[in-house]
Amino acid sequence: MRPHEQAQPPQDYFRYVNVDAGWVDRRIFWDEAIYERELEAIFARCWQFVAHDSQIPNAGDFVTTYLGEDGVIVSRHTDGKVYVYLNACPHRGNKICFADEGNARRFTCNYHGWAFSTAGELTGLPSEREAYDAGDIDKAAWGPRRARVETYKGMIFATFDPDAPGLEEYLGDYRWYLDAFLDNDEGGIEFLPGTIKSYANANWKFGVENFIGDAYHAWWTHDSGGRAMMGGPFPAYDPKDTYHASVNGHGWEFALEGFGDIAILGSQEVIDYYAALKPKIAARLGELRARLFGSLASAAMFPNMTFLPGIHTFRMWLPRGPRKLELRVWTVVPKNAPQSVKQAINIGCNMTFNPAGTLEMDDGENWEGNTRTNRGWVSRHEKLHYGCGKSRQIEHPELPGIVHEGQFNDANQRLFYQRWADLMNAKSWSDVPQRYAPRYAGRPTR
Amino acid sequence: MNAIARDVQAAAQPPSPELISEVQQFYYREARLKDRQDYRAWLALLTPDVHYWMPARVQRYRRDERAPSVLHSAYYNDHLEHLEKRIARLETGTCWTEDPATRTAHLVHNVEVEHTDDPDQYRVHSISVVYRNINEDEEHTLHCLREDLLRRVDGQLRIARRLLTAQQNIFMNKSLNVFP
Ligand code: FES
Ligand SMILES: [Fe+2]
Repeated sequence: MRPHEQAQPPQDYFRYVNVDAGWVDRRIFWDEAIYERELEAIFARCWQFVAHDSQIPNAGDFVTTYLGEDGVIVSRHTDGKVYVYLNACPHRGNKICFADEGNARRFTCNYHGWAFSTAGELTGLPSEREAYDAGDIDKAAWGPRRARVETYKGMIFATFDPDAPGLEEYLGDYRWYLDAFLDNDEGGIEFLPGTIKSYANANWKFGVENFIGDAYHAWWTHDSGGRAMMGGPFPAYDPKDTYHASVNGHGWEFALEGFGDIAILGSQEVIDYYAALKPKIAARLGELRARLFGSLASAAMFPNMTFLPGIHTFRMWLPRGPRKLELRVWTVVPKNAPQSVKQAINIGCNMTFNPAGTLEMDDGENWEGNTRTNRGWVSRHEKLHYGCGKSRQIEHPELPGIVHEGQFNDANQRLFYQRWADLMNAKSWSDVPQRYAPRYAGRPTR
Repeated sequence: MNAIARDVQAAAQPPSPELISEVQQFYYREARLKDRQDYRAWLALLTPDVHYWMPARVQRYRRDERAPSVLHSAYYNDHLEHLEKRIARLETGTCWTEDPATRTAHLVHNVEVEHTDDPDQYRVHSISVVYRNINEDEEHTLHCLREDLLRRVDGQLRIARRLLTAQQNIFMNKSLNVFP
């Protein structure tokens, strides 16, 4: 069955998520059947990040990654375009490419030697004339399945769903926020080389929901890391001028003090760099977004891409069953920054956010704890509280999206799980409700 | 050829049994300090200009292999000030994930000592194995290839550089709360 030809969902997933009451049922972090439905209704359907342009600048450059549990090759072909296709041979199904990244003129399957172009076409079969008769195979029809590919400001996204809305519509007004990170200076961002990959025995959603809106945990979980990196505790929580913004399940929670996250990198050189850049960011994106970038903040794009704009860490949470995830982490830097600033960001980012990081080490334990307690039949049938800040929704003259006040709030998480249930319930994209009318539909956000 | 190999040349004469034994004893002491979590004493085994580096591994085809660059993402890319911050975190009293404490055993194997052009510096290859037991019952084991530059300072061996190559492509655990 093609990904978009889905059966009627077996149940109403709003039985697991109640946005108004503010709770989530714990079974969504444990149950195998729910996980299988996620692979179908979310990961075979939504746009997901696969690479940044700077990782594959030249023809033949490739990375391998996953859409859900479907392995894909992401490669730049000789025509300059990026193609994304299943990393699975259409002959007997073997994996086509076993490297994480590199440069190739073609990919040759280890099993019988079928060869594929970097555009994902089947180009050659060993002993073709001896083995195959006319009419046995139409090579043009037997390449690995290709995904749709679209980019936003250097970020390459893919989906296997032919009925998915375009990337711009999928992102919606979230583009306004993304620009603060991706497009705050001429040249944009680049990804530094090296991917840090790690496993955790946790449900993928815990990683995402932590970044989409959980400023609350930082003051407690990260007290030791914050003190080590900044020489003192996190600044007192300010309920004024702090927000949750949510669009189509994507979320960004943030303060507007301008430097909270940049300071965590622990480098005066980086602070000075951005202090000098801030007026340019304001001229480019407006005063508000200049303050937004670099503030204490965290963000996530539905379903599984997250980042800390000021700490410059960018990460994907790849599902590996309901109780395991693979985390991939990169450092992003402003492309036009001097080498010494890039290195200071690299060191600060690695100091804080990877399995050895002074902040991330504390997170991993929590998410595994969140997941593992569901082993208990009684625990698993309990609900979890997501009611913080239910009444704090506001209309903001400048901030797009569904906006709530207070960085300590569960709003973005509630709206993430609303989107989750909407997609889990939907038979196709046309069933997915529009919960927000975009301000910037059809218009650029910068 | 990696960073340390590039700027120290192995000299011809083989290391004496006394030197090998001294290096081994140094490593065992280092391992003991880490297992007893006496991290301040461990820091004193490092030179002030130490570089402690564990770059991310990338699995590439053989024809495509390349050494990590200075801008490479890394688990550790630390100078002394960074290592001190990591130790300071453990000393705050609010490092919840280390309370109860992690149990570790640091093992050092395959110690191979080489002279360099500088009579006070040695290049040492070894394999570091760290066994961890955390929380109720979790066991983790990490094997790293290790290439050190040891420097004799006031008669005592010190670690001036350490390059760690983890032999896991995907790091298998949620945390790396040890110094291999
Ligand atoms: S399985 Fe790939 S060539 Fe046969
Ligand atoms: Fe965290």
